[in-house]
Amino acid sequence: MYQSAHFSEYNAISGVWDEMYNENHNIREHYQRVISYLSKESADNLNKKEELARRLFMTQGITFTVYNSGEGIEKIFPFDIIPRIITGNEWKLVEKGIKQRLTALNLFLRDVYHDQFIIKDGIIPIDVIYSCPHFLREMYQLDVPHDIYVHIAGIDLIRDEKGDFYVLEDNLRTPSGVSYMLENREITKRLFPDLLPQCNVRSVTDYPNILYKNLMALSPRQISNPTVVLLSPGIYNSAYFEHTTLARLMGVELVEGRDLVVSNHKVYMKTTTGLQQVDVIYRRVDDEFLDPLVFNPASVLGVAGIMSAYRKGNVAIVNAIGNGVADDKAIYSYVPEMIRYYLNEEPLLKNVPTYQLRNADEREYTFANINTMVVKKTNESGGYGMLMGHAANEQEIADYKKEILKDPRNFIAQPTISLSAAPCYLQGSLQPRRIDLRPYALCGPDGIEIVPGGLTRVALKEGSLVVNSSQGGGSKDTWVLD
Amino acid sequence: MPEFKIQHITRYTYEGMVRDSANQVILFPIVDVHQDVLKHTLTITGNPVVDTYVDYYGNEVGSFTYLEKHSRLVINSEVLVVTKPRELPADAMPASEQWQKLQALQYIVPYIDFLKHEYFEALPELQTVIEQQKQDNETPYQTALRLCEYVYRNFKYLPGVTTVETTLTEVWNLKAGVCQDFAHILILMLRLLNIPARYVSGYICPNRNGMRGEGATHAWAEVYLPDYGWLGIDPTNNCVANETHVRLAVGRNFSDCSPVKGVYKGSSGHMLEVKVSVEYQDQPSNSNESTSILPGNSFVQAAESEVFTTNSYRRYREALLLQQQQQQQQ
Amino acid sequence: MLSRVAASFYWLSRYIERSDGILRMLKINYASSQDAVREFTWKPVIRIYSVADAEQMSKLDNDSRAVLAYMVSDRTNPNSILNMITLARENARSVQEHITRDLWQCLNEYYHCVKDPDVTERLLHDDPISVLDNLNKQIMLYYGTAEVSMERGQGRSFMNIGKFLERSIQAIDLLDIKFGSVNNNPDLLTDTTYWKHLLQSIGGYELYLKTYRDGIEAESVMELVMLNTDFPRSVIYSVNNIGRYYERLKKESNLSNYRDIAFQMGKLQSSIQYSSTQSISEIGLHQFLTQIKTDLYTIGNLMNEHYFANS
Repeated sequence: MYQSAHFSEYNAISGVWDEMYNENHNIREHYQRVISYLSKESADNLNKKEELARRLFMTQGITFTVYNSGEGIEKIFPFDIIPRIITGNEWKLVEKGIKQRLTALNLFLRDVYHDQFIIKDGIIPIDVIYSCPHFLREMYQLDVPHDIYVHIAGIDLIRDEKGDFYVLEDNLRTPSGVSYMLENREITKRLFPDLLPQCNVRSVTDYPNILYKNLMALSPRQISNPTVVLLSPGIYNSAYFEHTTLARLMGVELVEGRDLVVSNHKVYMKTTTGLQQVDVIYRRVDDEFLDPLVFNPASVLGVAGIMSAYRKGNVAIVNAIGNGVADDKAIYSYVPEMIRYYLNEEPLLKNVPTYQLRNADEREYTFANINTMVVKKTNESGGYGMLMGHAANEQEIADYKKEILKDPRNFIAQPTISLSAAPCYLQGSLQPRRIDLRPYALCGPDGIEIVPGGLTRVALKEGSLVVNSSQGGGSKDTWVLD
Repeated sequence: MPEFKIQHITRYTYEGMVRDSANQVILFPIVDVHQDVLKHTLTITGNPVVDTYVDYYGNEVGSFTYLEKHSRLVINSEVLVVTKPRELPADAMPASEQWQKLQALQYIVPYIDFLKHEYFEALPELQTVIEQQKQDNETPYQTALRLCEYVYRNFKYLPGVTTVETTLTEVWNLKAGVCQDFAHILILMLRLLNIPARYVSGYICPNRNGMRGEGATHAWAEVYLPDYGWLGIDPTNNCVANETHVRLAVGRNFSDCSPVKGVYKGSSGHMLEVKVSVEYQDQPSNSNESTSILPGNSFVQAAESEVFTTNSYRRYREALLLQQQQQQQQ
Repeated sequence: MLSRVAASFYWLSRYIERSDGILRMLKINYASSQDAVREFTWKPVIRIYSVADAEQMSKLDNDSRAVLAYMVSDRTNPNSILNMITLARENARSVQEHITRDLWQCLNEYYHCVKDPDVTERLLHDDPISVLDNLNKQIMLYYGTAEVSMERGQGRSFMNIGKFLERSIQAIDLLDIKFGSVNNNPDLLTDTTYWKHLLQSIGGYELYLKTYRDGIEAESVMELVMLNTDFPRSVIYSVNNIGRYYERLKKESNLSNYRDIAFQMGKLQSSIQYSSTQSISEIGLHQFLTQIKTDLYTIGNLMNEHYFANS
């Protein structure tokens, strides 16, 4: 096959699964069409496309805001124009694996807030659960519609050097990024006309429709036109763009906490004609801020009294409150056991081996092997509060150890996984960069649906293993082939 | 059987008009073999619908909202309670066996919640005190009473020096506070010795004896003793909490039991006044003797009244900006 | 419609309209400052549009370019174009799913245009008129885009109420300050450049020439700015439009709230409509203007109470 200059320079990283090249340095079948399409484009043309993508993001306001010394700076989430491609077979495994995992996690949440069988049977140590700050006693014995706690999940997957999929994190509270899945696809359509149909790429555009259908189904009032709203922290939140996109695509009202009030244990929004009852709230506000009366009293983002409306079943809240106990990183290591316990099945997706630093022997082991470990805080996400053992200096390690010893429960360690790499178009040539994958799963009364695709995040810095946007990560359009 | 008529008034007065008040009240005395409620009336400005539910700790919790513009909000709770004295623990089981039994409770619900202690700066200091106080052959019951006395003797009862936001470290360093602080310190000491301990909020009705904590809501601790159950001990008065203590709620700490809390919208500051008065069965309400002996009847406890005079609008804007940015993005 | 959304529409427009007024004013004043037959002062402009104190005033030292930079791109001036447009954009952002993408992009471009550090640079060292023209064009683009793309619903009504309320307040402030200066300096009354200048700064000069054939006179200037129904920046035109767009909210309003404001508006409209230069001078212009401004603020406060839920 003819390859223009910018493709021949690609050097796969040794010992790393490359999404495009196989071990013999041949282009994998599912990448061939794209590569042959791109080879016909001059470097100049590709540069123009890159520029067009940047401009489209900026003028459409697809930005996130970074706060630095008081002033907000709007940034675009860097976008790499080369799509990440997943075969139909790979997707089947991912889809089945996530459905299985999510089913178990939902059963776990229902159990932990009711009978606690899994604790009584000794599968998960009680103190891991009771010491989790997101185990909310306010949710104990509270019934949620259809027993669904996780309506929207963004489960992060990575691939090791053999190409096996691993779950890195379960995001079950307010997973973000789905708007990038949708926008990245729209941009690709503009950049590469006709390419998507030629390659049989499955569509992701159904996402807002499925989400809306599921939200409507949760309405406590049996009326034809229930009021569904999206509750955002407001315009200063870094994901505000996503909130407006989803509200617009679903045709629902975007509200802030100050737009809502609780009266007689029902939730209302303040409109120009008076109060209008709200039935379903898709909230992108953390649990702790949701009700100043029950949780953080200083919160101005929440709605005072909303817990009482929720408890009485007068309003549905999505995702449910208290989900943090299921995506806590200390509880993560028990998810395979949950799957066996609740479903009597073997987990389809692997877990990354995880050391609980609250256990002295595991802590010792971690300290002894810190250079090959990633240490994480159990309750943080977004790449914050991590120690990458292989990249840290001695002082950083010593400081971090001190932190750990203050409260070991809040830390876990995992061996550094060598994430798979995919080609990126950087400075005029194709270069391998590490990636992960976040598919978005929607759980409704009719079951779990996952739109074929997701957000592929990429560590744009050479040699970096951290894909988070806060740490210099970017994203790619993610194709699932039919 | 003692019978008490307790009136508990909470009054918020705002500088200007406010709206969208939302409140949570835990003002429903516990009903069990030692305590019964004969009558309870709860009157609130604007007559909002109060919804109640039973929380994780078994307390009855009410909540209500009041949206109309208002410049004050009064919550008046009048309750008629009978209490029955309880027998004190026989404490016959050998000490070592009792300690073993407690050890076994460590990973059992609900005790697990009443054994957990939060990180606390003066912990090493406190550990030393506990070691000095603890006698090897004493039972958990004896130890609890000893520690109760320790707190009573070493902390000064001084209304006004602490608020609900004062941290344990601050209280420890001050060596002073009110019933709530006394209870928190004792609870922490007990938990460090692996004795399940919980916080109790309620009223003290000491008749003519004149005890600390009158005229306001009171707080003390309860310990779990093997072969007995929960027993109330009051470090503020150095006594077992028996038929003169009326229990409203139990929990891990004050914030699980806070009798009245609320939020509102509006830019004005507020003043909070709390009054608790008790009438006794054998003393008619118009008894002069009663009021003269119990000056606390109309006393406004400093620790429970607070005034905000800062610019709450600006505070709101600042909080809004900060919190919107801080929301965790998964 | 959510109360907060309605309030955002209203404030979005007020800020845009205010920035429009400032830009026009700056352009004409800059031009006259170059026509320096006599000593030119920026004081009235700064007084109408900013809160600059004496210290700030002396710092600016009547230096045209420094004043322009202060009024356009100084973050410390709460009424600078940059701050106005930032506020407008924040309001637009919070109603992003209610305005068309075109309108959002338009506003976004305006914002990025003002934010460009080059703006200050060019105001200080290049031709300021082309900078101001450029910014003004962004606003016209914005108004045009709003006109063709916004659905004819409540949102647009709130936008237009905000726009015309702001415009009428500006016209009143301008008259009040310009006529106020006459009290201290009676010579101004017959100074045709002074009045020509006022007319130009709100784009009414040509209409004035067509309407009044016997030269520029203070009283006629006042009549045009106050009472001419064909002049899109006159007080009466603006107030009539507030009423017009308010009427469209009727079917989606709580009736008693609607009547409350409609009554205030009717009262205001007729107090202007049935005035003449003569009746105004009997009351005293300043008195008259103050009353109208009070009425406009009352309407604004009632809107806040009845439609914006005090947000």
